[in-house]
Amino acid sequence: MIPFAKIPKLTIAVIAALSLPAQAAEAPKHVDVKQLSKKVEDVVVPLPNEVFGALNKLGGVNWREYVRNDKGANFTERPRIALLLGAVIADGFIAVQAEDAPTVKEIGQRVLNLSKAIGVSSSITAHAKAITDAADRRNWASVRQELDRTQNSVQQAMNEVHDEKLSQLVSLGGWLRGTEVLTAVVTKRYSEEGSELLHQPDLLNYFETRLQSMPEFNLKLLQDIHAALVEVRPLIDVGDAHIPAASVKKINDITTRLGDAITKKTP
Amino acid sequence: MTHFLKTAWRAGVLVALAFVAVSAGRASVDDAQSFALQAAEPYVKEGFQVREDYWGGDLGSGEKKAVRQQLFKGNEYWFWLGTEVEAAKVSVHIYDSEGKLAEMPDSWQKGHFAAAHITPKNTGSYFIIVEIEQSPEERTHWALVYGFR
Repeated sequence: MIPFAKIPKLTIAVIAALSLPAQAAEAPKHVDVKQLSKKVEDVVVPLPNEVFGALNKLGGVNWREYVRNDKGANFTERPRIALLLGAVIADGFIAVQAEDAPTVKEIGQRVLNLSKAIGVSSSITAHAKAITDAADRRNWASVRQELDRTQNSVQQAMNEVHDEKLSQLVSLGGWLRGTEVLTAVVTKRYSEEGSELLHQPDLLNYFETRLQSMPEFNLKLLQDIHAALVEVRPLIDVGDAHIPAASVKKINDITTRLGDAITKKTP
Repeated sequence: MTHFLKTAWRAGVLVALAFVAVSAGRASVDDAQSFALQAAEPYVKEGFQVREDYWGGDLGSGEKKAVRQQLFKGNEYWFWLGTEVEAAKVSVHIYDSEGKLAEMPDSWQKGHFAAAHITPKNTGSYFIIVEIEQSPEERTHWALVYGFR
């Protein structure tokens, strides 16, 4: 981050620049996507609450039904902790949608414990406290912001010690839990607008590719997730067609099964 | 022993210089991010949640970079681009997966800031294209942040 002394200069520069008359940004109406794809960065994984926000606008979601209080098992394998951490942060966003302050506070504590277990707790303690404080004040916008900051800090800490693959598993855990809840909501009350939110083929590609590059994590769970993503692909990669209710239900079955496997110790 | 000390001294100086160079490079991308966040600030008051994550790097004049982003129909998004090079001119535009310009007409460009606005017509992948249109620097740091509501 920039030194504090630079802030006034920065503010002056911003005010000066933003007080200039805005120009309508003129841009080519069309670009060649094939040519573009050579210089494209990886797809950015959305936060679970981006899809929850869109889903919420369709109305009629009783978020309390989807709040999960199960603490989950204690794992020692770091990839499993990373997946669970992502899923628990997604649970935090669900608890915020439900405006369930006690669960949000429990989740803040669980995130801290999981961060300790994976060795990245130093930057998380302050966030966990901020989550608790904001939940006490029922300031849901702040809780959302802190959950985002928490995930970002966890992933930055992992990236700094070259644990990028664990960082990707945090994103994957969150995405799977988000997809599980999205499909549960849409299965319960099917609409084409709701099922369209599943149209995420590039994210599926991204996670498949990432899982293929993790042979060193010799875990059956990761192999199961990869196989499940292959199974999900034809269900969501439907071009301009609608994703039917039966496909949404099937994706829900798959992601629920994976969700159970992420949170529970298999015998 | 003297030879050993000289070698150790040179190695130490090289490590220190490398550290300073890396820190300086990183600081500039962080500076660019601060400018992008400043551009986003007024929108936070309008209920946009700005993601902590951001993209950044450096580009030469006339160079572009594309970022692929999953957007959801029903949400509203703003993307803000900034650089610390005050004499630079930057732009950001949003295209759908077919390569068609998809942003709204209130997207804007003001010197070393630019922003693009979209309420996606469809859920799916979009391309966010950033460009350093002009800059006095050989390489110009940039950072892109986004928010949604």
